[in-house]
Amino acid sequence: MIERAGYLPGVAANDIAWQTLRFGGNENPIEIAVPELSDHQMQSMAATVRTASRKLKARPTQQIVESIDRTVARLLDRSEPIRQKAEDLLPRVTGYDAEMVRLGLTGYLKTFRKPELQKFLAEDFANPMMLDDFQPMPKGGLARAFGPDILAHIWAGNVPGLPIWSLVSGLLVKAGNIGKVPSAEPLFAGWFAQLLAKTEPEIADCLAVVWWQGGDTAREAALLREADVVLAYGGNDALAAIRGRVPITTRYLPYGHKVSFGMVSKSALNSRKVTATAHQAAYDVVRYDQQGCYSPHVFFVQRGGKISPKEFCQYVAHELAAFEKKYPRRSLSVSEAGAIAAWRHQEEIKSFGEGGRQILSDATGAWSVVYSEDSEDLAPSGLNRTIKIVAVDELADVAPRIAPYRKFLQTVGISAPPDELYALGALLGQEGITRISALGHMTAPEAGWHHDGRFNLLDLITITEIEGSAEKAADAFARYAD
Amino acid sequence: MTQDEIIRELLDFIAADDAAESAFDRLALEIFAYQFKHNEPLRKFCLQRGRTPRTAKSWRDIPAVPINAFKELTLSCCAREDAERVFMTSGTTMGGLRGKSHHPNLAVYDASMTTHFKQRFMPDRDRIDMGILFPDEDVMPNSSLAHYLALALEHFGTDDSRNEMGKSGIDFDALFGWLERAETTGVPYALLGASYSFVPLLDEMKRRDVRFALPAGSRMFDTGGFKGQSRDISADDFYTQLSDSFGVPRRWCINMYGMTELSTQFYDNGNEVCPSVKSGPHWIRSRVINPLTGEDVPRGDVGVLTHCDLAHFNIVSTILTEDAGVEVDGGFLLLGRADGEEAKGCSMAVEEFLKAANVAATG
Repeated sequence: MIERAGYLPGVAANDIAWQTLRFGGNENPIEIAVPELSDHQMQSMAATVRTASRKLKARPTQQIVESIDRTVARLLDRSEPIRQKAEDLLPRVTGYDAEMVRLGLTGYLKTFRKPELQKFLAEDFANPMMLDDFQPMPKGGLARAFGPDILAHIWAGNVPGLPIWSLVSGLLVKAGNIGKVPSAEPLFAGWFAQLLAKTEPEIADCLAVVWWQGGDTAREAALLREADVVLAYGGNDALAAIRGRVPITTRYLPYGHKVSFGMVSKSALNSRKVTATAHQAAYDVVRYDQQGCYSPHVFFVQRGGKISPKEFCQYVAHELAAFEKKYPRRSLSVSEAGAIAAWRHQEEIKSFGEGGRQILSDATGAWSVVYSEDSEDLAPSGLNRTIKIVAVDELADVAPRIAPYRKFLQTVGISAPPDELYALGALLGQEGITRISALGHMTAPEAGWHHDGRFNLLDLITITEIEGSAEKAADAFARYAD
Repeated sequence: MTQDEIIRELLDFIAADDAAESAFDRLALEIFAYQFKHNEPLRKFCLQRGRTPRTAKSWRDIPAVPINAFKELTLSCCAREDAERVFMTSGTTMGGLRGKSHHPNLAVYDASMTTHFKQRFMPDRDRIDMGILFPDEDVMPNSSLAHYLALALEHFGTDDSRNEMGKSGIDFDALFGWLERAETTGVPYALLGASYSFVPLLDEMKRRDVRFALPAGSRMFDTGGFKGQSRDISADDFYTQLSDSFGVPRRWCINMYGMTELSTQFYDNGNEVCPSVKSGPHWIRSRVINPLTGEDVPRGDVGVLTHCDLAHFNIVSTILTEDAGVEVDGGFLLLGRADGEEAKGCSMAVEEFLKAANVAATG
């Protein structure tokens, strides 16, 4: 079977050149046709999106919220054909376990229902009505927020559904959106666009989903020329390259790869609580096989509890083994397996000189837990269910060990009592951590989360102010002026 | 066995025409027992894998040491100060840590190199006019490639052979002079160097708009590939350019695959087709494995290459590389590095992190 990716308003379907991407290996092959637009097609599509985005700006934000809500409701409905297609195809394209994808999609899509969308708005705007009309400002005068006519999204990676975050953000600020899907998961963004178009035909032209082969700078340039704001995900090299090609007058919002970790207080390490704590920790490791920027690479575990950090390793290993039965890890490429092997060897070599180090893993290499007594710095794991547990005397001691890496830090999952949580929050925030969640929730950020500490919506808009002087001066010219 | 006995036995083994699997096994296990006894880090590594010379019945049972271990550990049976020569890797990864191979003397290394080089690069003649495009041993005393090329020059070069790589790069005028001379005299010429040394040469030839039609019997030799260099060229493009620019058929553009962590090299029989089939002599054997389980992958599947090189007797003879490969008739195909791939998601991978952290630390 062939599935077509993308969504291309304003381009005649017959004129499009399609490329084929192959997934699923030999057992479960699937072909996906992805569109490759000419410069001319990109221009005409951008014109369509721009016109639609102007119309969108006249639409009350609440109506847009309801449009997204209705679309998301359909995606949450397991009898919806596109939802069924997603449940069938995404595991085959990405290799992730089908049940993990299904549960992950539902949990993720729930963050885009109406009440959650209101949270997105409330997080960023004291008065969300400024997206609809001029609103009074505390300093005097009036202000209105305008989303870009064209917001370009360059997505990366294979975590299903990720593009929806920025697409929804764009729609909420009434932007026209053109997104480029990655070859690793080219489908979901297009499905969302198709379903939105079907559910809400009046705003059908406000978004487009395209593809090009990574590194095709000519096609990328065609989009960058049209964009008012560019939002890109990816590795730092790729992001730096794009920055060099974005016109200086265009706002550029790069989201680079990040490292996250967990912390477990000794209060969470007694015989009553340890099983749940280990389960949550393992869950964060298993979800999407640590491919998320919010996925943990290390757990810093406090000494002095009823259960020692070393014993905690056994609990986590046990949970990882159980998860492997329930949600098996996707099959890995040779490079990915090689990366795990290299990481494990590295740890093994360190263990020669160090009695406290221990490596637990299963025979097939489906998961690995490394335990270290050493005061280790933060460092990425081998990914794909490989985790290091580092014993520490005080969780606060971790702060200086992460300080050198502040540019790459994101989430910390914490199991600790309230006073420790707040004290750690202050310390970690200073070192560049932008999100603290409960253990077990690291991979499911709340609706309205400030991604990498920034504003989902405010970063996209410009404000137009009518200053007090203009208001006052206008009065003098009114028909009813005295 | 003592070091001297092993060296003697190895020199005989290399000088023989071929070796049966049983003969290879016997010597491999003897050398494994020698290394297990004299090389403490290796012993710890093997014990952790639950392997000792007692439980290893074939060379396939000897645990393969990952090449990264050469950076962290001193893997040498002889005392470090007794090593006549230490070869080191270039240290482009892992924060500049360099992998080291200690050689008590170079008798076995040199015999391995010259015997196999003769078979694969010089089967039809004893000597040839040579140009070397790589710094010499005085400039790079710890480079195994510099030593390798010095051996080529010494044992297989004519009096008119020389190193064309000076302190400030290739001496283009001199080199072009030699190439022109070969064209006029009809005496075959061989150009040898690191793959990336040929890039500035090809650029300069393009700039000056010169090409050569070297006489029949001329040959090219490159090694190392382009990974991590300023420019990435596909192998196919590279050999097309090489063949067009020097008039040497791709059959005689030979690529060597070697590494500091080995004392034996692999060659192809030219690059008419890329990737070419690589193979080694009878004192090295290779497997293609799943790096997570250590098991052989089914024949024809991609895996990671491990090599058991008897000539690397003082260090570790069985190594796990970071190179992806696939077993084929007559050898294996080399498919590039098997790690360092960018993460599928937005999670940072080790390589990227180290790179970024280094930039942050220095910049």
